[in-house]
Amino acid sequence: MTGLRRFMSRLSALVRSRQTNRDIEDEVASHLAEATEEYMRQGLPLEEARQAARRSFGGVAQTREVYRHVQSFVWLEDAARDVRYAIRSLRKSPAFVTAAAATLALAIGANTTMFSVVNAVLLRPLPYRAPEQLAMLWTEDPTQNLREGRSALWDVEQWRTQSQSFADVATFDTVTTTLTGAEGTEQIAGASMSANLLSVLGVQPVRGRPFSSEEAEAQKPLALISHRFWQARFAGADDALGATVVLNGRPSQIVGILPADFQIARLSVDVWAPHGASRSVRGPQTWFVVGRLRPDVTLDQAQTEMSAIARHLNDQLPAAEASRGITVVPLRLYIVGPQSRVALWMLAGAVGCVFLIGAANVTSLSLARSTARAREMAVRAALGASAGRIVRQLLTESVLLGTVSGLIGTLLASVGVDLIRAFGPATLPRVSEVNLDLRVLGWALGLSLLAGILVGLAPAMTTMRRDLRPSGEEGGRNVSGGTSSHRLRRALVVAEFTLALVLLVGAGLLVRSWQHVNNIDPGFRPDRVLMMDVTAPGTFNDPAQRTDLYRRVLEQIQAVPGVASAGIIGDLFIGHPREQALTVERDGGTVFERVPLIRDEVSTDFFGTLGTPLLRGRFFSIADQPEAPRVALVNDALARRSWPGQDPLGRRFTLGPRDSGGPWYTVVGVVGDIRRQGLERDVLPQVFVPLTQNPPSRKVTLAVRALSQDPLAIAGAVRAAVGRVEKNAAIAGVAPLVQQFGTYLAQRRFETSLLTGFSVVALLMAAVGIYGLIQYSVATRTQEIGLRMALGGEAGHIFRMIVGEGLTLSLTGGALGLVGAWWLGRAGSSLLSGVTASDPLTFMTVSLLLTAVAIAACYFPARRAMKVDPIVTLRVT
Amino acid sequence: MTPDRSDVLYGTLGLMVIKTLEALGPLHGYRIARRIEQISGNQLAMNQGTLYPALLKLEQSGWISSKWGTSESGRRVKIYALTRAGRKRLHTEEAQWQRAAGIVERFLKISEDPS
Repeated sequence: MTGLRRFMSRLSALVRSRQTNRDIEDEVASHLAEATEEYMRQGLPLEEARQAARRSFGGVAQTREVYRHVQSFVWLEDAARDVRYAIRSLRKSPAFVTAAAATLALAIGANTTMFSVVNAVLLRPLPYRAPEQLAMLWTEDPTQNLREGRSALWDVEQWRTQSQSFADVATFDTVTTTLTGAEGTEQIAGASMSANLLSVLGVQPVRGRPFSSEEAEAQKPLALISHRFWQARFAGADDALGATVVLNGRPSQIVGILPADFQIARLSVDVWAPHGASRSVRGPQTWFVVGRLRPDVTLDQAQTEMSAIARHLNDQLPAAEASRGITVVPLRLYIVGPQSRVALWMLAGAVGCVFLIGAANVTSLSLARSTARAREMAVRAALGASAGRIVRQLLTESVLLGTVSGLIGTLLASVGVDLIRAFGPATLPRVSEVNLDLRVLGWALGLSLLAGILVGLAPAMTTMRRDLRPSGEEGGRNVSGGTSSHRLRRALVVAEFTLALVLLVGAGLLVRSWQHVNNIDPGFRPDRVLMMDVTAPGTFNDPAQRTDLYRRVLEQIQAVPGVASAGIIGDLFIGHPREQALTVERDGGTVFERVPLIRDEVSTDFFGTLGTPLLRGRFFSIADQPEAPRVALVNDALARRSWPGQDPLGRRFTLGPRDSGGPWYTVVGVVGDIRRQGLERDVLPQVFVPLTQNPPSRKVTLAVRALSQDPLAIAGAVRAAVGRVEKNAAIAGVAPLVQQFGTYLAQRRFETSLLTGFSVVALLMAAVGIYGLIQYSVATRTQEIGLRMALGGEAGHIFRMIVGEGLTLSLTGGALGLVGAWWLGRAGSSLLSGVTASDPLTFMTVSLLLTAVAIAACYFPARRAMKVDPIVTLRVT
Repeated sequence: MTPDRSDVLYGTLGLMVIKTLEALGPLHGYRIARRIEQISGNQLAMNQGTLYPALLKLEQSGWISSKWGTSESGRRVKIYALTRAGRKRLHTEEAQWQRAAGIVERFLKISEDPS
């Protein structure tokens, strides 16, 4: 308290300093008068009494000075003076300030932008109540190498009732949903939730209410809508509550509106319907499960308990399925997967390196500047400035510089954040939440101060060490730049090259991975192909009806001008494969196995439209009618897996155990592998069956190959053709296949281009750093060089000497960088594809590039050194 | 926040000041200086001027207060008075001083008398 009071008292004294100055004058005056009076009473004459009074008082001026010190923030006044002086001093060297501020502003801006991404994606808590208690629960199935598989409702109900670790467990899944309005039927992003999902997450609807469990059990036609849907369809009007929308042909009543930021897992959903728990049958394993841990229950405890429950449940299952487990994953880790985490930290680290290189450059500049100012400092020291005072002066200058750079950097970052939001990959979770919040601004401020201190520290230290000797030795004839500050600058250049090489290697490896991924054959030719999802109206309950519909749709489309061919597949890009029981006939008998398998119905022209090659046998034909023998195509992966070294043509298989009574399919052809789950994933075994013999679901994917380069040009005509066949068919997701395909590559492109950008900036900065150093070194050694020339030194020798100096530094840095890159490469190897973390080609190329840049940067100063006229030795003294 | 004692009561001058103010009530600067000199039997060769920074510090710490008034001789002077906080402070300081002095005294006695 006392300290605070003294602070306040000082503060008020500062405000009314003139007043208190007069006060102390008055007080001293009356003190002296009183004393004089007393001495006079003792018999001294006036003059002597006055002198005696002054003597016993001591130095009046000192008292005033000490008084002023106690009274005021001397340091504050000093600081104000330091800042004024710093501004004046910086204004005198505009070139230095521009170079330094531009470098630091760029570095701070890039760092702040990157931190805003890290902040939004990794650090900011999820928008749920106590998000750390939330976890995803997955069905683990070792037989198909599936750790995080979706679950069956019946299983979840068992978990929910048996688990002590979880307070509650909820389920959700996407559901194919159509919306019928005045303009026709369209497909929307729909999903289904158990009644307790919102309470598990701790989210309240902004209007209305959640589903009740009775409504969910009864599967009542109700809907919760997203904030976005509410704004778009109802213009945010209150009468949306209770309104009726026709979902999947069924009028449903809206009971609530979800908050604007509501999103569960990675799904973006517009309309939610309720679903109940399954108490009798196991049902399909399609559900996402999220649970809320009881307070004080750790994740490990929960995992242990759930594993025990899984073992218990397995006892009740048939032997073939009795190896299941349950995986508990924190929701946070599920939403931002390990790959995104590694990538973001890598990018943050890279941009941190850029910051360090930038700071090193500016430090080097300001060291050069402080050497040039040695004389000024010596004069200031001679005039009585203490070393501490001078150091403080230098630090004030650099912190001021850092602050100004930080302000510009923050402006740059606000642009950067906009760019990230606009162009960041949609696969990066929460990327839309990136912004400049207080934490990010605090980060920018911290970086600015850090930059200021880092940049100012080295010159300040060397100034201290220089002992502020009276000038002459430093400022006069200078034999070489071999002072401690020059050694420090050389060390900085080495460090810059180390960091730059690490970044370049990282970028090189990512570029190589990118090339590799780009060169992976997807198994089809995506150019010129238009994709769209078509959903049959809810009235098409009869499978034969749908088969007929799709046949007529294809006929109509093939008649559209500009269309080369058209095909249909159940669903081209799917998330999780389903484990299938498969019985195959092969040499040596009939084998039953469980295979993670994708099975799809396709039309006759599907493979031709996509450009997938036929390896053996034949495609489907119009002969494969419902009454004809059942046929199938398999992909290369399945052919190699189930018929290793044998010819699968003519062999038969069935889905399920041998005597399950399911149809047996005869393999009529083998098609090339299609990488449907992403280029970097392994190809899964696939079975294709003809649409005609296996009626598809209500929603199918339509692929149309255009004759022209731009498949979007025929989009309107194709839509119209579908509409002519069935006006209530919903069409969604119309996009060129190239584009859909591109989202697989988006995140890799994002990482690669950012890291490449950072490393190019780093390399340029390092080049500028070494150029500045060599340039300076040549400048300070002009006389030495002149002397060498005068004594018969060859220009070529001088050139080699100068370039050699630069190369020594850059190669030292490069060698250290190679070690660092090799070491760091292993940590980030999960981001690589098709190259190892110690890819020799990358390391070689990058080393050569670095050397070339270093030579180029030293070339110009070295040329200047060659042209030194020996006469200079005589001129300057 | 713990105040730096040695800083405020440096050389015990501050302690002398507040003890004086406790004993004699509100006084102006010159009177305080004279009183301290008298009590110390003029053995304390202090510059009276050093009193004023000490007074200011004590005031900033809230142990004394000041206001303008007139001296016995009718001059405009600043009159200092002990505050309640200052009184409390004085007691703890006194106790500490006595304890410290006692320790030193006992220590000196032992050294003199090695029995």
